[in-house]
Amino acid sequence: MMSWGDALWLGLTARFARVGRLRRAVLMLAAAACTAAAVLYWKQQTDDSANRPLHSMYSGIEPQWSWLCQHDRCERYQASDTTTLQSLQTCNMLCASTQLWPQPTGPVSLASAAVPVRSDRFSLKVIASPSRDVTKHINEAFIVMQNHMRTLEHGVVGENRRSDIGPPRDVLVKVSVNGSGDPRMRLDTNESYKLALRPSGNSLVVDITAHSFCGARHGLETLLQVTWLDPYAGSLLILEAATVVDAPRFPYRGLLLDTARNFFPVSELLRTIDAMAANKLNTFHWHVSDSQSFPWKLDSAPQLAQHGAYGPGAVYTSDDVRTIVKYARIRGIRVLMEIDTPAHVGRAFGWGPEAGLGHLAHCIEAEPWSSYCGEPPCGQLNPRNPHIYDLLEHVYREIIQLTEVDDIFHLGGDEVSEQCWAKHFNDTDPMDLWMEFTRQAMHVLERANGGKAPELTLLWSSRLTRSPYLERLDPKRFGVQVWGASQWPESRAVLDAGFRSVISHVDAWYLDCGFGSWRDSSDGHCGPYRSWQQVYEHRPWATETPESAAWPVEGGAACQWTEQLGPGGLDARVWPRTAALAERLWADRAEGATADVYLRLDTQRARLVARGVRAAPLWPRWCSHNPHACL
Amino acid sequence: MALHRLLALMTTMHLAGVLCNVESTFDEITPQIYEPSWMYKCVPDEGCQRSEHPRPTLSDNSTSAFFDSLDVCRIVCGRFGGIWPKPVTAALSSQTVKIHPNYLRYDLLNVPAETRELLVEMTQVISNNLLAECGGHVTEVVDTQVVVIIVVKTAITSLNWNTDEQYMLDVQTRGGEVSVHIEAETIYGARHGLETFSQLISSDKRDFSDVEHCGLVLVSGAKIRDRPIYKHRGLVLDTSRHFIPMVDIKRTIDGMATTKMNVFHWHATDSHSFPLEASRVPQFTRYGAYSGSEMYTTEEIRELIHYAKVRGIRVVIEIDAPAHSGNGWQWGREYGLGDLAVCVNAYPWRHLCIEPPCGQLNPANPNMYRVLRNLYQDVADLLNSPPLLHMGGDEVYFGCWNSSQEIISYMKDQGYDTTEEGFMKLWGEFHNKALQIWDEEISAKGLDPQPVMLWSSQLTQAQRISQHLDKERYIIEVWEPLNSPLLTQLLRLGYRTVSVPKDIWYLDHGFWGRTVYSNWRRMYAHTLPRDEGVLGGEVAMWTEYCDAQALDTRVWPRAAAVAERLWSDPTSTVYSAEPRLQRLRTRLIARGLRPDAMSPAWCSQHDSKCL
Repeated sequence: MMSWGDALWLGLTARFARVGRLRRAVLMLAAAACTAAAVLYWKQQTDDSANRPLHSMYSGIEPQWSWLCQHDRCERYQASDTTTLQSLQTCNMLCASTQLWPQPTGPVSLASAAVPVRSDRFSLKVIASPSRDVTKHINEAFIVMQNHMRTLEHGVVGENRRSDIGPPRDVLVKVSVNGSGDPRMRLDTNESYKLALRPSGNSLVVDITAHSFCGARHGLETLLQVTWLDPYAGSLLILEAATVVDAPRFPYRGLLLDTARNFFPVSELLRTIDAMAANKLNTFHWHVSDSQSFPWKLDSAPQLAQHGAYGPGAVYTSDDVRTIVKYARIRGIRVLMEIDTPAHVGRAFGWGPEAGLGHLAHCIEAEPWSSYCGEPPCGQLNPRNPHIYDLLEHVYREIIQLTEVDDIFHLGGDEVSEQCWAKHFNDTDPMDLWMEFTRQAMHVLERANGGKAPELTLLWSSRLTRSPYLERLDPKRFGVQVWGASQWPESRAVLDAGFRSVISHVDAWYLDCGFGSWRDSSDGHCGPYRSWQQVYEHRPWATETPESAAWPVEGGAACQWTEQLGPGGLDARVWPRTAALAERLWADRAEGATADVYLRLDTQRARLVARGVRAAPLWPRWCSHNPHACL
Repeated sequence: MALHRLLALMTTMHLAGVLCNVESTFDEITPQIYEPSWMYKCVPDEGCQRSEHPRPTLSDNSTSAFFDSLDVCRIVCGRFGGIWPKPVTAALSSQTVKIHPNYLRYDLLNVPAETRELLVEMTQVISNNLLAECGGHVTEVVDTQVVVIIVVKTAITSLNWNTDEQYMLDVQTRGGEVSVHIEAETIYGARHGLETFSQLISSDKRDFSDVEHCGLVLVSGAKIRDRPIYKHRGLVLDTSRHFIPMVDIKRTIDGMATTKMNVFHWHATDSHSFPLEASRVPQFTRYGAYSGSEMYTTEEIRELIHYAKVRGIRVVIEIDAPAHSGNGWQWGREYGLGDLAVCVNAYPWRHLCIEPPCGQLNPANPNMYRVLRNLYQDVADLLNSPPLLHMGGDEVYFGCWNSSQEIISYMKDQGYDTTEEGFMKLWGEFHNKALQIWDEEISAKGLDPQPVMLWSSQLTQAQRISQHLDKERYIIEVWEPLNSPLLTQLLRLGYRTVSVPKDIWYLDHGFWGRTVYSNWRRMYAHTLPRDEGVLGGEVAMWTEYCDAQALDTRVWPRAAAVAERLWSDPTSTVYSAEPRLQRLRTRLIARGLRPDAMSPAWCSQHDSKCL
C-alpha cells in the first residue's frame, strides 16, 4: 500500500533537506558520541559538585527539543544533545506515517525529504476542464488552498526564517478534470483523484487529475496536507515528491448541525464547513429549524422567521444562505437544508389564524409538553390544512433554488406525536395522517423541483419507517437516515428492505450525548459521551449477515444536536471526533484506532487548530511530543 | 433599504387588519415586515416569559410589566434578580434607572490609605465590566449621577482563610441621583460588593439583537447583606498536561472573580511538563517546558498573582511531589547531582505510574532536596504573603521507588523495610523534609510557619495519617469519590480539609474512560458538610483532554454552579437557580468568556417552561 521513495528522490534534495534515512543514522552516531563525551566530562566534575553552590551550575538556555526518526518513530531529544535541530512537525512528516487524513485508499508513495516553499510561489495551470464553471471552481479552490498556506505562514513569529534552508521553490500545480462539467457535489459525482508531486529542475510540479471538480479539490486538500510549517526553519516545507491515488469508500459523508436549539452565527457555520473540507467530508446537513426556533428568513415566507427566530440577530437571510452554499461548494460540500416536519415545528407556524389561513400547526407550546412531544416546546403541523402544503412547496422551492441541490432532499419526519394529532383528529389513525402527510409533502417537493422527484429523498427513521408502514413507502423514492441504536432491529430492517440509507446511529455518531439532562426530568438524553475512538471504530455495515453485502449504505453523518451547545463550544464538541468519522467513511479501513491512527489524527487536529478551529486535544501534549510512549 | 422597510411596514400594517378573518390562500398573503423582537414579562414564581407574539400589542396599563431586554427582566425578576452567587439577603426594587459609566464616580474617602491603590484597581475592573455589558461602548448617554461610596474598615490587604469577605450594599435613587453604599471590613469584601453592584446592571439590548445601540440599566434600589459560607472556593487548573497561555488563565480568573471564587489552585507542574520558570533553577523549564514559548516567566507569574489579587483571588501554587514529577527533573546526572527523579519517562509505564510519562522524586538523593529548596525559595518569592503552597502528594507508586537500587539501599540505611509500610515511611519522610524546607524558607522571610495543602492519598488514610502528617500543618484536599468515608474520618481526626469529590466536581470527567460528566445541575446539587474543618471546595480542570481551545466550555458555567454552592450553600432548588445562572452566562459572554449552553435558547427565553 505504501512505498517509500527516499532512495529514488534522495539525490535531488536541497542541502538542508537532505534528511534521508542514511543521513539521519549518521547524525545519531554523532549525537551519541557527544553525549558520551559529556557524561565523561561531568563524571570528572562530580567530586567537587556537592560542595559548590547550585546556582553556579545553572545556565539559562531556552528549552528546545529536537526530534529524530528512529525505528519508524519520532523520538524527542534535548536539542543540545543532538547535532541536528528538527521540529516535531518535520520529523512526523518525514518519518514512517503518511500523516494524511483521511488515509488514502489507493497506493501512496511519499518522499522522506522536504524542500522549502512559500504560499505565493504556488501557481495554478488548469490543463483540462470540461466546463468554464469547473475551471472557475478550480481557480477558487486553489486560492482557498493558498490562503490556508498563508495562514500557516502567519504562524512564523517575526523574521525567524532560517537562512540555511535554501531558497523557496516554485510550485506549479497542474489540474486536469476529465468528466463532469457540473462542479456540484452530486450523488453520482466521482470524487477520485490522483496526485503526483515531483521535482523538476529547481521547482516542483504537481499533477492533479480527477473526474470532477470535487475530486480535483480533494487533490488540492491532500497537497495542502503534505505542506506544513516548520517552526524551527520559519518556513513552509513540502514533501519534495509524492504520489497519491485516492477515492472514497462511501459517497455520503456528512455532519449535521442543529441551528434551532441554539443559534450559530454564519461565521461559525463557515468555519465548520472549512473544517469539513479539511477532512474531505462532503455533506453539510443543516438542521435549520425545529420547534424551538426557525432562524431562516425565507423570501417567500418571512413569517416563519418573524415568528420563529430567537431575535433579529438570530436570523439567516437568503444572502447568508447563498454565502454558505458558495463557500461550501468550492470546498466540495453540498448543503443539505432540512426543515423538519411534520413534528419539530413551533411558534414559527403560529401566525396562520392571524393571516386568515387557519391553524397551520397544532399543540404549539402545549402544556404539559410531555403529553404532546419529546422535548419542550411542542408543535406539529396540521396535516388537514391545505395551506400547509402550499407553504411547504415554497419552502422546498427556496431550498432547492438556494442550495442548488436537487438530487437529494431531506424531509425530516421524525418523532411525530400521535397524541397531539389524536387530540385534534379523533376520526383518523394518526399513523395514516402521517403517511398521508408524507405523500403530500413528497408531492409538493416534486412540484417545487420542476415536476421531478429528487433521486434520493431522506426521512429520519421513525415509526413510519418500521413495519407495517415501511412497506407502504417506495424505496425508489425514499431513503432513510437511520438514527436508532445500531443494535435495534429497525436499523437493519430498512437496509434489508432495500432503502438507501445514511447511518447516524445514536450510540456511535451522536455528538451531543453524554452531557446529562438539561431538564429537571431526567429522561430523554443519551449517554455516555462518544469518544473519537468509538466514532472511528463504528462499522455497522461490516457484519456477517448474508443480507449485509447488498445493503445500500450511502454513507453516514455525525449529528451535532445543540440543546446543550452554543457557539463558544461548537468546535471542541465536533472536532476532532468528526474527523474520525471522516476517515471511517472515506477509507473504511478494517482496523480500529491503532497507533498510526492516533499519530495521524493528532497531526490532523493540529492542522485544524492552525485553520482556526478550536478542536479538542486527543491526549496530553507530552504524548504529541512522544507519541509512541502513550500507546 | 431602511426607508424602504419602513414604508413597507406602514402599508402592511394596514393590510394586516383587512386580511384578518378573510379566507385567503398562502400565495395571496402579503407578509407583514417586521423583525422578530420579543418582549419579556416578569411572571411571579415563573420568571421571565417571552411574549407570545414577536411584536406584542400592548395595552397602556400593561406596558410597565414588559421588558425589551431579557437581561433587564432578569435583574429585577425574582428575589435575587440576576445576582450569582446568591447573596444571603437581598431586597431589590422592581424599578430600574438608566446610567452611563461616564457619570459613575467612586468615593474612596473612607478607606484606609494603604488599601486605596488596590481598591482603585478593583473599581477599574468593575467599570470595564460595565462597558463590556455593551460590548465596550455604551451608546445611550444619560447624565444620571451615580456615586459609589466605599467604606473599608481595616487596612488588611493580605488574603487568606481569615480574610473577612462580608459586605453590605445599598442602592438608592433619589431625584435623578443614585447613591451606592458599600461597606466592608476588608477591601476583598468591598470588591465582592462592587461585583454584586455590577450584577445589578444590565445592558438594555434585546437578546439576539442586531443593533449597536446599547444603554445600561441599574436596579434603582437594593439592600444586600452578604457573606460566604465557605472560606475556600477554588478552581484547580492543570497547566502541565497542556500548556495554558496566560491570556486564557486570566480569562479564567475573570470568571472566578465574577462568581466570587477566591482560590486559584494552580497545578503548575506535573510529570508531563514543567512550564513554571524558576529563576534559581532554569533547568526546570529548559528540560521540562514543551517549548520556549510554552512556559511562564517569573514576570508573568508575578503579574498573574497581582491580577488575581485585584479580583479577590489568592493564587496557590502546587508543585506536585514526590510523584507527578518527571520532565523538568531529569537533568541531575548531567549536572553531577545524581538522579533527582527516578523512572522518568520509563516505558512500559503501567507499574510505575498512573499515566505516562512516569517520574517520581528521588528521596534518597540529598541533592534533590537542595534543588527542591531552590524551587521553594522561588515560589515563596512569588507568592503574596502569607504564602500558601500546595505540595501535591498524590498517587505515589511504590513500584517506581522499588525499581531504584539507590532508593532501596537508602531505605535499608534508614531502617525502613521494603514493604508497604516501609515505603509509607519514606513517603512521610519526604513530606516532612519538604515542609521543613518550606518552613525554613518562609521563616527566612520573617514569616511564621504556614499551613500547606496536600492531596489525599494512601498516606492520608484514616488509620495512617496521624503517624505521618501533623494536623496543625497539613490541610488535606480530599478528592475521593462521594461514597468514600475519608472526608468524615479526617474531620473526626481534626484535620482541616478542602473537598473536591472527583466523581462530581472534576471538570474533565465524561470525556475519557468510564468517567461520567457532571452537568451544572449535578454539580450544584452536591453539598458539603457544614463543619469547622471543611474550609471549602474546589472544581478541578485536569487537562489531559483539554487545552486552551476547549477550556472555557469545559469550565463554564459549571464552575459557577460550585461557586454558588460554596458561597451561599443554598437550600433552594436547582430549578430556582437556573434563571440567575442564565443571566450569569450572558454576563460571562459579555466579559469575553465562552461558556457552554445549558439548554436550548428557547428555555432561557421561557423560564420554568423546560422542566
